[in-house]
Amino acid sequence: MIRICLYLLPLMLIANLAHTASVGELKPVFIDLGNKASLQRGAQIYFNNCAGCHTLQYHRYSKFVDDLGISEEMVKSNLILTTNKGERTKLGSTVLNSVNPDSIKEVFGVVPPDLTLTARSRGPEWIYTFLTSFYEDDSRPMGVNNILYPNVNMPHVLWYKEGLKTLDDNNILSVKIKGELTQKQYEQEITDLVNFLTYVSEPAQLERYSIGLWVMIFLVFFVFITYLLKIEYWRDVK
Amino acid sequence: MSRLIAWIDERLPLTKFVKNHLSEYYAPKNFNFFYFFGSLALFVFILQIITGIFLTINYKPDAASAFASVEYIMRDVEWGWLIRYMHSTGASFFFIVIYLHMLRALMYGSYKKPRELLWLFGMFIFVLLMAEAFMGYLLPWGQMSYWGAQVIISLFGAIPFIGESLALWIRGDYVISDATLNRFFAFHVIALPLLLFAVIYLHIAALHTVGSNNPDGIEIKENKNNNGVPLDGIPFHPYYTVKDIFGLAVFLTIFMFVVFFLPEFGGFFLEKDNFVPADPLKTPEHIVPVWYFTPFYAILRAIPDKLGGVIAMGLAIFVLFLMPWLDRCKVKSIRYRSTTYKVLLVSFVVSFIGLGYIGMKAATPTLTLLGRLFTLVYFAFFVLLYITSKNEKTKPVPDRVTMHD
Amino acid sequence: MDENKGNKSPNRRKFLTNLTKVMGGVGAVFAAIPFLSTMSPSEKTKMAGAPVEIDLTGIKPGAFKIIEWRGKPVWVVHRTPEMLAKIENQVDYLADSESTGEHQPQYAQNKFRSIKPEYLVLLGVCTHLGCSPLYKPGENKDLGLEWKGGFFCPCHGSKFDLSGRVHKGMPAPYNLEVPPYYFASETKLIVGEDSAS
Repeated sequence: MIRICLYLLPLMLIANLAHTASVGELKPVFIDLGNKASLQRGAQIYFNNCAGCHTLQYHRYSKFVDDLGISEEMVKSNLILTTNKGERTKLGSTVLNSVNPDSIKEVFGVVPPDLTLTARSRGPEWIYTFLTSFYEDDSRPMGVNNILYPNVNMPHVLWYKEGLKTLDDNNILSVKIKGELTQKQYEQEITDLVNFLTYVSEPAQLERYSIGLWVMIFLVFFVFITYLLKIEYWRDVK
Repeated sequence: MSRLIAWIDERLPLTKFVKNHLSEYYAPKNFNFFYFFGSLALFVFILQIITGIFLTINYKPDAASAFASVEYIMRDVEWGWLIRYMHSTGASFFFIVIYLHMLRALMYGSYKKPRELLWLFGMFIFVLLMAEAFMGYLLPWGQMSYWGAQVIISLFGAIPFIGESLALWIRGDYVISDATLNRFFAFHVIALPLLLFAVIYLHIAALHTVGSNNPDGIEIKENKNNNGVPLDGIPFHPYYTVKDIFGLAVFLTIFMFVVFFLPEFGGFFLEKDNFVPADPLKTPEHIVPVWYFTPFYAILRAIPDKLGGVIAMGLAIFVLFLMPWLDRCKVKSIRYRSTTYKVLLVSFVVSFIGLGYIGMKAATPTLTLLGRLFTLVYFAFFVLLYITSKNEKTKPVPDRVTMHD
Repeated sequence: MDENKGNKSPNRRKFLTNLTKVMGGVGAVFAAIPFLSTMSPSEKTKMAGAPVEIDLTGIKPGAFKIIEWRGKPVWVVHRTPEMLAKIENQVDYLADSESTGEHQPQYAQNKFRSIKPEYLVLLGVCTHLGCSPLYKPGENKDLGLEWKGGFFCPCHGSKFDLSGRVHKGMPAPYNLEVPPYYFASETKLIVGEDSAS
């Protein structure tokens, strides 16, 4: 038994060390996928500001009905903003846009990446930090730069909400032009947006925790029963 | 029911089989924690086959649609996410179980006569499993899938004369491409599972021929009663069927916890970079193999020469095949062996874990030095074992097994 | 089997064994559910099989339009008053003139086999072996003197009238199927469900 613990100790140490390595520069963000209101707000912000350039190519509009708790009509009127052969894009379609990759690459230098899995590949904290780290930079084509992602090709689309900030020599941001929202309001909106993107990156999260709880309860009970069975039979063995 | 069984028995040796391999197959009564992992490995193998079949229903092995088909399974297929997570978690748990299973063999000398063939079959299964896992990892066609495969296949290119042709033949193309994906799919889904099934069958058949070893390293068949039943043996059924069901319950509890609450396991089971589709033009900053390959990867990187690294990595696995002949000590179990051996084995395990950690990280000067040190310790185990085991100072081995709790 | 070797409490043993078997069985059933369920249509398939909208304004009287629904051809025919006059109730040359078979929703169980007489909605799949029949609305000497218009299947010669009812003695056994549909408005037809869900 002691031998087992000795073997486990270095493993736990490694798991811990390996994890803490790169969290330094990222701001924390509170993800609450159970908060449907937040997911809905996030969805609205996404489709109003981001969907024009970014796709969510692996996600289907029809999933928003149950996952966000809104009607089919609401999804169609509020979130489906594209058309297909003259008619509004169907509910069963994946979330694409009408971007021409070659043209947009000429404007921005890159094709805006698909965002379906960004919350899994980079993490919610990364997206949150990214969207709150833009500052004015006249040397860049879009007039802005980003602390987390130096020389990013993306403009600060949400500047009208956050306002425009400048970065001084000590890496401190200060407001140059005020936006529509206060700092706190902007952070709340970005939290909603990141919440939404975290849901999009893995919709299964909405159900796997609750199902998992039942599975664990059953299994713990099963462990108990099979243990009783084992010791009952093994009383024969001396 | 008994008439049905009689009917079958006239045509297939069902009752004889149940007697020989379950109800009258005698296993040592002193199995401990480390003896759960054989049956658990079999369970995980079956789980991978079943979840694998259901994934194959919706997975598309085409470079243009593979990645999207995995997301389709995760989102649009009913319960697809659960089947996917069971398969990905199962892959990692398979290696956890196998490494502990192999550690048991090292501790208790389960590779020694008459179990050398059993050990060889087991090592063969290990190599097949590594190939199976490697090919399976390409299938999601993420960045890590693509570049990990690119790096490892190019290692074959290091072999003199035939290297480049060999790599080309394996890939089916000049770089990892759709051609590679298609053949890895065929091997992963059909060829290797069939081979694995065959060798696992042989492994269990070899085990049942000689009977299990035990933590005391005593041959229970040397002490039989008047009926020919080993004094320290108990019928596998019901005692070990019942104990293994309990073991399975505990295993499932841990396994399902990971599946439902921690499927990515901090990026160890599902790596973050693999959520980005493969891009042949853009290499990720940090290419690492999946955690279960990192010890061998660290050994590869420890040698500054490309071919040398490949040889060292191959040797690290090959030398394990030789254990029955390297270890010349007649005493099987660590319980009765010298302090020297205990130090050697602990050092080996520590170096294996250390190499595993180093293999995950980017190569810094300190880690490279440590990697070389641990590689040395790893191989030193086998060399020093060979030397010291000939005239090892062992403790007296009891006649009968000892029951620790 | 030696399970009673030195067994001091056989009842407890039997109880625990049975309890384990029952729990194991329950667990196995619950574990099987996702695997069986995963084979049912995916979200993509369900959405692709979703009801289709048809704009009726473009279909002139006498005209015939084909739309795809669930991979099959759906026909919308804008029948003229002349065509409707030709559709009789009990006609001897029809095999099932009252549409007693279950090949239409209840609201299409009339001689016009439709909600509104002027719009016929049918699944364009012959009830013989699945070919798609041709629209033959007018008189046609090749199809016989009593031909009053309808549909003709070129594969094995089955004939259907202007309500999709099969003639007697045809290879096809049943009337053409009417899919579920409803009028969302005067000019918008929804094929695939009986009413807005």
